[in-house]
Amino acid sequence: MPELAAFQEAFAEALLAPEPDGRLARARGFAVYRNTCAHGVVEALRAAYPTVDCLLGEEGFTAAALAFRDAQPPASPVLSDYGAGFPGFLARQPWTSELPYLADVATLDRLALEALAAADRAPVLSPATFRPLALALHPATRFAWLETPAVTIWLAHRSPGGFDDLEPEWRPEGALLTRLAGGVALQPIGRAEHRLLAAVAAGASLATLGTALPAESDLPILIARLIACGAVFPV
Amino acid sequence: MVPTAGLSFKPVHFEEALASPAAGLWFEVHAENYMVAGGPRLAMLEALRREKPLSLHGVGLSLAGAADPDSGHLAALKALCGRFQPFLVSEHLAWSRSGGIAFPDLLPFPRTSEALRRVARNIDLAQTALGRQILIENPSLYLALEGHEWSETDFLAELVRRTGCRLLVDVNNVFVSARNLGFPAEAYVDALPVDAIGEIHLAGHRPDPVHGAALLIDSHDAPVSDEVWDLYARLLARLGRMPAPTLVERDGDVPAFETLMAERNRAASLMRHGGRVPAYA
Repeated sequence: MPELAAFQEAFAEALLAPEPDGRLARARGFAVYRNTCAHGVVEALRAAYPTVDCLLGEEGFTAAALAFRDAQPPASPVLSDYGAGFPGFLARQPWTSELPYLADVATLDRLALEALAAADRAPVLSPATFRPLALALHPATRFAWLETPAVTIWLAHRSPGGFDDLEPEWRPEGALLTRLAGGVALQPIGRAEHRLLAAVAAGASLATLGTALPAESDLPILIARLIACGAVFPV
Repeated sequence: MVPTAGLSFKPVHFEEALASPAAGLWFEVHAENYMVAGGPRLAMLEALRREKPLSLHGVGLSLAGAADPDSGHLAALKALCGRFQPFLVSEHLAWSRSGGIAFPDLLPFPRTSEALRRVARNIDLAQTALGRQILIENPSLYLALEGHEWSETDFLAELVRRTGCRLLVDVNNVFVSARNLGFPAEAYVDALPVDAIGEIHLAGHRPDPVHGAALLIDSHDAPVSDEVWDLYARLLARLGRMPAPTLVERDGDVPAFETLMAERNRAASLMRHGGRVPAYA
């Protein structure tokens, strides 16, 4: 193996080793590289998962982030997109059984990040004769159905003092995230809206959208609401 | 407008950056922070670019890596160049990828002739893919590695000769490396190939919390130190009538925009006077 490649392989190994040894690791200054690498990954995750950080506290989050880094180190230098697997990782950790909503809250943090960085869509004004055949999701629209009251918990942690004495009713909740005027908004949604969004995502035509919904649903009102908040648009 | 002294762009300073009337003011961003599909971050940079010259500073190409630069990353950088038309594009004499893992740092390597061939090849691949010249920055060093066959200044000069790239001299990195590895910073500045210098960086550093002043950290969270200003003046004196655009970098403990502008204005003033402090200042 060329010397440069061998040097870098050994250096990378020492950067990630739990307790590195050898001459390199003992040299003063090596710790600077080790710390910078760990710090960069942990802080990128903290920025991506602010609500999880809030729930775990600084120390708890750092420990979880380092464990995740060891399991799934970054493959790309674009760290703002790092950590897609963090919610699933949290769900598999034994210690999170005491925080059953944590992985769902992490999912919402991730969806908010994706919504913020998603592609733009230039507004298209429809001519008066336009007869839409279907709906399409805005590129920044994200939605989820979660088995825990993670939406209530997430929203409470994103408003100052909002989580004092928070005791959410334990039931599944739906979330819709949209990007309007430069920011991401999360709103709770019901089962009907979630099913409608899933049908739109699957490419259903306007004519068949109604079949996806519970019998008592008011389709025109649901569609009007989703268009008004920028989640979908007619095509 | 000829870009003179610039600042790292901080989104918290967006309004003031956009409105500043300072002649020659320009901004630099880390390219990787803008490798997203859309949204407010890109929209903000577009608005800034309409008013001010912009420089793209990459931290993730891993040009001193043992492998070719990642083609997807190069394509993303090229797309940013196409969209924002930066007047400068720069990267580092460092590696940050190995074995499929990206390390958020600028890592050192022994400057051997083998490494020189590899880095020259990688710079060549990058410049070909981007269709433009790039600048290469000297990193801050913390480790005295064995096996160097080239001094850093000779290594950089040879990269310029082989690839046609230019240099970004980070004066704070020179100072930090000199302190950490025990070489004279002035001699380093005097050995740089001045004709190849296309940009200068200034930034602050801090002593390591454990080792103190024996180990300086290139922390970018403090004002530029007096020693670094002196070293900058020495470099400007060498550059004479052709000073390179100079950036004051700040990433942590970001102060008010006016505070950063005061440092930036000091750099602009030194640039106008070839590194000499004007008598009336």
